[in-house]
Amino acid sequence: MLLWVMPDSGARTMEDYATLVSLFKKENPSVDVTVRVFTRNVLWRRVFTLKDPSHEEKPDLIQIPHYWTALLLRAGVMENLSQLDPGLSLTDCLLPLKENCYQPGTKDIYSYPWWFDLSALHYRADHLKLVSAHPEEDLKTWSGLLSICAALRETFGDVPGYYPMQNSDWRGSLSMRSALPCVWSRGLNFFTEDYAATLVGSKEFKDALRDYITLALKEYMPILRERGSLGTIVSGKASMMISRKQGIGSFSARRGVRVQTLPVPAAGEKTASYLSGMNWFISTFSQHKKDSLKFIKFCARPDIQLRYAKMIEVFPAFEEAFEPLISSTPRLQIYKEILPTAHILPNMVIMGTVMEILKRVLAMCATQIVENRFTPALLDRELDLTAKEIEFLLSIYKG
Amino acid sequence: MFDKKSYTLYKFHKELNQSFQDKRELLECALPALRDLFKLDRVYFFDWQQERAILSLKMMCKKEYCMDMQEDISVANEPSFLRQLLQEGVAETTDLSYPALYVLIRWLRPTMELKSGEVRSIMREKVGVLRLERFRKKRVFTSQEIDLIKDLGQEISHNLHNTEIDQAKNQRLNISTALNDLSTIFASSLRLNDGLELILKGVQRYFHFDRVHLYLTNSEGSRIKSVLGVDISGNVTHESGDSLRDEEKQILKEVFDSPATYRAIRSVIYLPLKVQRTKVGFLTFDNILSRRKIGYLDFISLQQFATQLALTIDNARLFERVQELSNYDELTKLPVRRYFNEKFAEEIYRAKRFGLSLSLIIMDIDWFKQINDKHGHQIGDWALKAVSKIIRSSLRQTDVPCRFGGDEMIIMLPRTNSEEAKVIARRLQSRICDITLPDRDAIEPEHLSISQGISSYPSDATTTQDLLEKADQALYVVKQHGRGSFAVYREVADQVQQNEPTDEKTDK
Repeated sequence: MLLWVMPDSGARTMEDYATLVSLFKKENPSVDVTVRVFTRNVLWRRVFTLKDPSHEEKPDLIQIPHYWTALLLRAGVMENLSQLDPGLSLTDCLLPLKENCYQPGTKDIYSYPWWFDLSALHYRADHLKLVSAHPEEDLKTWSGLLSICAALRETFGDVPGYYPMQNSDWRGSLSMRSALPCVWSRGLNFFTEDYAATLVGSKEFKDALRDYITLALKEYMPILRERGSLGTIVSGKASMMISRKQGIGSFSARRGVRVQTLPVPAAGEKTASYLSGMNWFISTFSQHKKDSLKFIKFCARPDIQLRYAKMIEVFPAFEEAFEPLISSTPRLQIYKEILPTAHILPNMVIMGTVMEILKRVLAMCATQIVENRFTPALLDRELDLTAKEIEFLLSIYKG
Repeated sequence: MFDKKSYTLYKFHKELNQSFQDKRELLECALPALRDLFKLDRVYFFDWQQERAILSLKMMCKKEYCMDMQEDISVANEPSFLRQLLQEGVAETTDLSYPALYVLIRWLRPTMELKSGEVRSIMREKVGVLRLERFRKKRVFTSQEIDLIKDLGQEISHNLHNTEIDQAKNQRLNISTALNDLSTIFASSLRLNDGLELILKGVQRYFHFDRVHLYLTNSEGSRIKSVLGVDISGNVTHESGDSLRDEEKQILKEVFDSPATYRAIRSVIYLPLKVQRTKVGFLTFDNILSRRKIGYLDFISLQQFATQLALTIDNARLFERVQELSNYDELTKLPVRRYFNEKFAEEIYRAKRFGLSLSLIIMDIDWFKQINDKHGHQIGDWALKAVSKIIRSSLRQTDVPCRFGGDEMIIMLPRTNSEEAKVIARRLQSRICDITLPDRDAIEPEHLSISQGISSYPSDATTTQDLLEKADQALYVVKQHGRGSFAVYREVADQVQQNEPTDEKTDK
């Protein structure tokens, strides 16, 4: 059985999957499991060529971001899990994750939840203490965040390579996932309520992206730099980071470093978090569908969910494991507050494409920023073009 | 004897001396070899993206394995480090807390270019960068090591060049084979539409397009007649040209105004299908949903394929036209007797096999001989055309009308019993009664009328010949009773016995 997975835990992904697979093999010694790790970009290209008859590598089980389900279902590469096992259910799955597992408009399960994470603001308590008496209050709004960044820059100005914010994006670029809370915080979305038109070209959407881009524009957050050379919260060359939970536990484990977590500062009227989920799906062309299903069920087991979530520092997708994890440590209590503010991307055919288009827009902005030629007008123009592209996609794929 | 450096180079060369399917496979072999040779903790391979001036990480190798990773480094952020790298081929970064060495890799890759209408194969330089890290023991790279790494970098460059050439050759071969296969399938399919469906499905599958559409124009090439498409799920769609949106209809003009449109950024290709000056239609291929670029090599191959396809479609259309001419009566545009007999036999077989009903109507125009004698043959022909037009427009697609000879016409109605046939006969009678002859001198308008005889399978007869005979006998009864009406054989069978028809029709 061949698994295509995403780098869940960065450079440690292979080791973490090796642990998981060895647990599975203990119970299923006859099943051979091979793991291949692909970045989101590579996986995006590869899933569209699964149908290619000349493709030598035929994966059985593939890990995908939750919002790719409708798309890959349309592409005809997903096995109907409900048909494969009529007993398979999502009853215990956390509510926001369910919608992205079904074929839109039906209760047929095509992808199964694996894990999820929530974006939040993490900060070094000792650093913030130097610039704010009440960080919890000052970091409630986006403008508050920018003021704190300015104060931190002033305070740590003589530390070489220091940035108030650590960049959580793997590429070290501007990331749509980090920008999303700014959009939702303004009460906005990608589409109108009936999903008939896009709001990407609206003034509010442009303002929301500008809020996020300001972090790079004012050099509060590094972009497109050699990753290893950059300051981190742990090394003391950064003080804050908007990211998912991953990695924060290891920060706190370092002696003398106390990392606190807060909801992402509200760019609009209310605070919002991005709930990013990972799902499994079985390829239509799999030769080992039964074993793949066995693996999916194994991964959904509360003990495995809890173990893997702890291992890579994410949240389990099922209630039975989620509750014990969140209650296990006071550090995670804040997520009880964050979860109700979480938003998820809709289960639409074009959602993955929309994210790819916006990723390209932000990549272009990042290049313009480092080359000192970024202007808000350029961003506005790009988003207007993007809106037209999305409208066209909507006209073809009806969402 | 080899010195140590030569021996290392030889070993490395031997390790890479194999055929790799693609760049990834080569790097999966080369990076671990470098890691082991220099006791590295991690080795990375970056692509140099010239248009964005960015080093973009593609692959990382650590411990026992390689995996995809992401990291973008802008040159604008690191000008001095990159200048050194470009000038000297190696650069050591000073920003990291451990030794890390960057090594430049340059190689030529084959590519295609379209210049003034002709395709040229050219070699374009590609640049990549290796990053070698020692972060555990932090052992610095010695000058001998750096020299050796540069030489090994050249070995990797050489292998990348060979792999890319092999890959381009294989890709070309695969495409040619695929297109050849598809052409063979197309040539062997009996019906044009079936063949086109197979072609589109095949092209979509081999080239991994999200969607493929074939727009066929009318014979003048001025209007889109129909659209055949295959979507991302592999489903086939048929659409009439009339139902297209205005902007889609506009594409026709756009496509033929420019010889071929290749919009790589938008992942769309339009290819006109032309045979000399005749417009046959055009093809569109898109990756709008998956946003994958369509390779130039694919574009060139499809362009050649389009020329072949246009010719085949044009030939198939000509063949269909010839068939149409031989199967249809020129005056009435109704099928001729030979075509009707074939279809009639097929339908009778189907009716017997699946227990279906079938009816037959035989009709002729009342007093047709007198119309010819009184108004001339031109008006007679006009009457025949007018009646057959009504027949064509009043029937279902599955019904088969036919000009049997003179003014005699036959209609075969599959899956129709005698009661349903009567409804159709009544409808025809009423519509044809509305036709008036175009005689300017006539004081009173002269209306046409028809007489019809109906027989049904299986109630009246079970063979084609018997059904024809029974319908003809019913028609004879109608004529005996004054014309302008219809009769079902079963209902007038008793009268048929008394009035056997003679060979000569009374009204002619």
